[in-house]
Amino acid sequence: MTNMKIPKYLNTGDTIGIVCPAGYMPREKAQACIQTLQDWGYRVRIGATLGGGSQNYFSGSDAQRLADLQHMMDDDTVNAILCGRGGYGVGRIIEYINFSKFRKNPKWIIGFSDITVLHAHLFSNFGIASLHAPMAAAFNRDEFKNQYVQSLRTALSGKRTKYTVDPHVFNRLGSVKATLVGGNLSLLAHVTGTSSDIQTKGKILFLEDVGENIYNIDRMMYQLKRTGKLDKLAGLIFGGFTDIKDTERPFGESVHQLLLHIVEEFDYPVCFDFPVSHAKENYALKIGLPYTLSVKKNGVTLSS
Amino acid sequence: MRRKEFLSSVLPLGLAIPAMGGIRLPDEDESIKNSVIPPYLKPGDLIGITCPAGFITDKELQPSIDLMKSWGFNIKVGATVGKRDFTFGGTDAERTIDMQLMLDDPKVKAIMCARGGYGAVRIIDRLIWDRMKEHPKWIIGFSDITVLHCHLGSNFGIASIHSKMCNSFPDNWSEAEPVQADSILSIRRALVGEKMKYDFLANERNRVGTTTGALVGGNLKTIETLGGTKSAIQTEGKILFVEDTGEYLYSIDRMFWNLKRAGRLSKIRGLIIGGFKIKPDDPGEEFGRTLADIVFEKVKEYDYPVCFDFPVGHQKNNYALKCGVKHKLVVDQSGCVLSEV
Repeated sequence: MTNMKIPKYLNTGDTIGIVCPAGYMPREKAQACIQTLQDWGYRVRIGATLGGGSQNYFSGSDAQRLADLQHMMDDDTVNAILCGRGGYGVGRIIEYINFSKFRKNPKWIIGFSDITVLHAHLFSNFGIASLHAPMAAAFNRDEFKNQYVQSLRTALSGKRTKYTVDPHVFNRLGSVKATLVGGNLSLLAHVTGTSSDIQTKGKILFLEDVGENIYNIDRMMYQLKRTGKLDKLAGLIFGGFTDIKDTERPFGESVHQLLLHIVEEFDYPVCFDFPVSHAKENYALKIGLPYTLSVKKNGVTLSS
Repeated sequence: MRRKEFLSSVLPLGLAIPAMGGIRLPDEDESIKNSVIPPYLKPGDLIGITCPAGFITDKELQPSIDLMKSWGFNIKVGATVGKRDFTFGGTDAERTIDMQLMLDDPKVKAIMCARGGYGAVRIIDRLIWDRMKEHPKWIIGFSDITVLHCHLGSNFGIASIHSKMCNSFPDNWSEAEPVQADSILSIRRALVGEKMKYDFLANERNRVGTTTGALVGGNLKTIETLGGTKSAIQTEGKILFVEDTGEYLYSIDRMFWNLKRAGRLSKIRGLIIGGFKIKPDDPGEEFGRTLADIVFEKVKEYDYPVCFDFPVGHQKNNYALKCGVKHKLVVDQSGCVLSEV
């Protein structure tokens, strides 16, 4: 997309709002994140859905989650919105979000996993870039020092990033420059056919997932393929597929093998095990912005 | 929720249907305007058995062969029976060829899928449908076979039978539970052209009403993963039935949102919720909504009838349903009736 709207990068003193549009997160689990963001020089605004009194899966009722997110989106004194955690729930409120003000004054929305719905929706409907990046839990146990959480800081500041990754034996070589889109495979499959669905033609697509059965990953990849989302890519980045399960009757291929097989008829560059995942290895990626993906024998680079 | 109880009453009409070619029924009902009903089976007709998805052994298959022979049919066992490529009943190529041979063999009048599992979507785009379109035949199965039902319905309007498969025929018929036996016998009734009629008990969450339309549906997860593809389910003007197994409530919720957001719930004429074996919430992740809550959140603004506990799904009471065939659904306080019209 050539006319992408890029939210303003942050300056010291800017405010980051934290909301939980999906699953519940106790306030103390976000404490390291809050402290770190403040150490980075930002102010932090805590939304009503972080912590709070919810007794079930969600961080609040649909109405509460919607109101909190809507408020942060429309509040001029909030410069970016970090989702505390994913889980499940954005799909329940996405149709009810009013984007009229946000479209004119977009701000970075930060998160991954279930937040993929929001990223895809912003990209497809409004051409607004967003940030696929670690969320609050990633800051805990001193992990805020790691390069992945630190990459969020770099991304928010607007500095260019260049990620270098080890080669993988399945990688398909090549170099391309194109717009980056992607996220969690299950959620991208799930939004197919809805108003949040993404177009991938000419893009670099990245995918990651967690806790799925191998056969289900295969089925979702077939869905992407059969909906024409894999045939005209500029490049493909497979991130981490973590905590993968197999059925009692084994699938017979590893996740890497099935991913490779499903795109073997195409000729764009493909890389495996890129550090975007539900594990610690999860670099900040700006959805909707151009990147150069270079897959070479001696390694992979992805630069903004 | 009240325990499912099922009172099957089928009127054997034994309609004589011309043997060759599909019947295009004249009807004002848009939902079945283009329905193609394959010829029903007669004694001596040949049923082919193939494995488009998971594998089955010869031994596991035998009870179904014996029983279907006792119904007066002949059986052709496909090359994928007894084949195994890990979870699959043969490689993609082997499964494609076996299904293609069954589709193209004029002697085969119906194709029963030996079992579900996973794999139909891996071969669906490799199959050639020319002969099937000219000489439609019944395809039988459920779960992963929902891929075939949806593909046939959406692309060719060819009716098919959603039912139990070979792997759930009991080894010892005399020890089968009554509903299991009755479910399997309903396959025979569907195949020979009897009009299906199922009575089932009311659920307090049902939304009453009477409607007619072609049946369409199957496994919810499979339906979701067909979204956006050329096999995607078309629900407009139809009575939709769904079932699933082993999913978390949150995942069921997400799938119903997918149906809703993709416009698949706004123009249906009725909604039948079959069996849902729900995976318990993880501790601390309680979803806080029942299946009925989840369903009504999505359909409260519509007024078509909705019923729960229909005997279709990954369970003993899983009765044969003719997808693409017009049915009448009556949901009232005293109970529900789904009948072929």
